[in-house]
Amino acid sequence: MNPTERPSGRPPAGEESALELGLPAEDKRLLAELAALLELADPLPDDLVVRTRFAMELDDLDYEVATWQRDDQLVGVRGTAAPNTITFTVGDLTVMVSLAPAANGNRFDGWLVPGGPHRIEVRVDGHEPATTSADEGGRFALQEVPKGITQIVVHLAEQSGQRARTVVTPTIVL
Amino acid sequence: MSDGQPPFEDVDWRELTGYERHAACLIAARVGDMKALDALVADLTPLIWYVARGQGLDRTTAEDVVQTVWLTLLRNLHSVAEPRALANWLIITTRREASRIRGGRDRVDPLPDDAMELLPSAEGLPEVETLRSDRDRILWRAFGQLPYECQELLRLTVLAGRAEYDYVAEKLRMPRGSIGPKRGRCIKRLRGYLDEEGGMS
Repeated sequence: MNPTERPSGRPPAGEESALELGLPAEDKRLLAELAALLELADPLPDDLVVRTRFAMELDDLDYEVATWQRDDQLVGVRGTAAPNTITFTVGDLTVMVSLAPAANGNRFDGWLVPGGPHRIEVRVDGHEPATTSADEGGRFALQEVPKGITQIVVHLAEQSGQRARTVVTPTIVL
Repeated sequence: MSDGQPPFEDVDWRELTGYERHAACLIAARVGDMKALDALVADLTPLIWYVARGQGLDRTTAEDVVQTVWLTLLRNLHSVAEPRALANWLIITTRREASRIRGGRDRVDPLPDDAMELLPSAEGLPEVETLRSDRDRILWRAFGQLPYECQELLRLTVLAGRAEYDYVAEKLRMPRGSIGPKRGRCIKRLRGYLDEEGGMS
């Protein structure tokens, strides 16, 4: 259904739907109106399928999925301004990355806690992955990472009492 | 066509729809058919999105959750016990992830205001469009006041009205549980909020 074809705020009269749940006609009308509104006000993000497919192009399927820490205050403005600092966590691992503009993308300055000689791989759609290793304190830097659909993969080094693990993030657009 | 046990292992998933298609795609993906996995992502991402949004997550967090659910599936391709119930597995995984993200945080503002920014501005539009926008705003506010359970149920109900999501309709039609009465109560609450907001229901 194309919401722009609705002549007014009234529900599309007599619209046929695959939905037959024995609802009263007035409920069906309200739901049809809600359907049009959801399509207008809360559509599936255009690039989400593409981003998801990119996130899933992984060689090693033994990974844990990290969670981006979102600053609630930024909700609603994201997408208009790229963040300066991004953080993700999984279990006891926290990774912070601060971004600074570079000639052809962003400079990444990152910090992993707990620290260690972990390998960091930044995947950007349409580009070769950028990789580096953290120092013993967990710090790492990448001079220039292209902008775009970005996923960070961390290969955690085997350490005392800790087996090697791989952590992947959902994609973020930087 | 969904009642029998077609030998979907032997059928090309491209020729199937609904449960059979999901199952065939999942089985094909297990042996490395990336096209089948891509098809699943295209077919079922809207479902995960609707559930995540219905769980009260803002759009940005919902985008993360959609990807997290797919990454979780990819890691568990071989351990999904019932391929025909993949849509169900995805719904349950999405709810679990949403509740994990919300955990520890205060209840999120039930009014998902962020999406309102996507509504076209009334400025410069003909009066009919302005009216429509007012009505939409009122309905959106009323919907946002509903408990998450209602938001999710009504979103799924709406999704089930689209032909390509007939399996959701199938699920919602199931006599098991109290979906029917629950939906009735949700719609009634929505009407109540609409009246309070001054919109005709």
